[in-house]
Amino acid sequence: MTAAVSIRSLSKSFGSQAVLQNISTEVNPGDVVGVIGKNGAGKTTLLETLLGFSPPSSGNAAIFGEDCRSMSAATKARIGFVPQQDELLPTLTGKRQLTMTGSFYSNWDGALVNRLAQEWEVPLDRRASVLSGGERQKLSTLMALGNRPDLLVLDEPVASLDPLARRRFLQQLLEMAADESRAVIFSTHIVSDLERVANRIWLMKDGRLLWDGDLDALKSSVRRLHLFARRRLPLTLDFPGTISARQAVDGLSATVVVRDLDDARLQEASARLDARIESEGLGLEDIFLEIHG
Amino acid sequence: MFILNPHSAVPIYQQLIDQVRRLVAGGQLAPGAELPSVRDMAQQYTVHPMTISKAYSLLEAEGVLERQRGKPMRVAAQKRSHSTLAARLKQLEPQLEALALSARQLELTPDEVIAQLKKRLGDKS
Repeated sequence: MTAAVSIRSLSKSFGSQAVLQNISTEVNPGDVVGVIGKNGAGKTTLLETLLGFSPPSSGNAAIFGEDCRSMSAATKARIGFVPQQDELLPTLTGKRQLTMTGSFYSNWDGALVNRLAQEWEVPLDRRASVLSGGERQKLSTLMALGNRPDLLVLDEPVASLDPLARRRFLQQLLEMAADESRAVIFSTHIVSDLERVANRIWLMKDGRLLWDGDLDALKSSVRRLHLFARRRLPLTLDFPGTISARQAVDGLSATVVVRDLDDARLQEASARLDARIESEGLGLEDIFLEIHG
Repeated sequence: MFILNPHSAVPIYQQLIDQVRRLVAGGQLAPGAELPSVRDMAQQYTVHPMTISKAYSLLEAEGVLERQRGKPMRVAAQKRSHSTLAARLKQLEPQLEALALSARQLELTPDEVIAQLKKRLGDKS
């Protein structure tokens, strides 16, 4: 099975500023990958570089086994992309935009596009210039779905959708992923959507992939520890895998967020510090906040 | 039938496993009862299909569910071993943890808590 996307030691700089640093990962058919990170973490640059819009500074990215710098037309026809800023032509109606986009593909599925346009309530008779932000976003998503892509890449696809539209859109993504020959990568700020539909998370910070893997594994590996000590705690708590640490002024309680800490270590720390330790699991949003805290 | 909360610290597949186990142990899901297909569950709860199939597979390995060729998963005939004392106690663990935490926060002694528990459980001793 060829990986849908394969990225090796990918780095990208704009002038002296490193935007992507040594990223290596793969996406397999059936994967729904959610990309999260603060503004400026490198999400858009990563998506655009792997699609071949601008060359990597070093390393490489391949889609269905073809290097992103020299993809064949046949491979490009298997990709759907929804950019953060849509590229609709203001004077054309939705219907005309779709017909025009469809004319570039031999495998365009007009029936699917019409069905989704109805389900998502996209007014196809109006010119793009008078559509709302959400309507524009839905229309440009339809343009990316019409060729039934094997790889769908979406940059902030749900930012201007209302909750109902978001849910319908996510269901469509899942329907695509259930057909296991397809893969989806989407970046978002809306962490709660990721928790539902993504089976993998790319957590980006400062151009690096801080976490690449199973969402469930991430949730089970990160714990927030609450320490209640009978005597003053040392100023620095040297837990391995510390993500963040806060200590109360009196030195008698502290909160530490750690990764991959086993029970034996926990008990040892509890005895050594003469402290009771409560361990708490975190949702993705909390994990995200702690990592950026 | 299920309550799946994606934002909980407990992974979704684990929530599903816990709930199926409880429904089976409590008899609400009788042996032979069929569960919705992976696809239907994924659509209904808007979660990735792998999340559902992971839960189903683990429940199958445990002997709670069984796979039928070309048909949905169904509840297996339960062996006594599923309701051993240890297994049943394990199911109570999250609630016990929560109770212990609250008791400590309220500075109640173990004896005080146990006395209340006994009363609830109908122990006359």
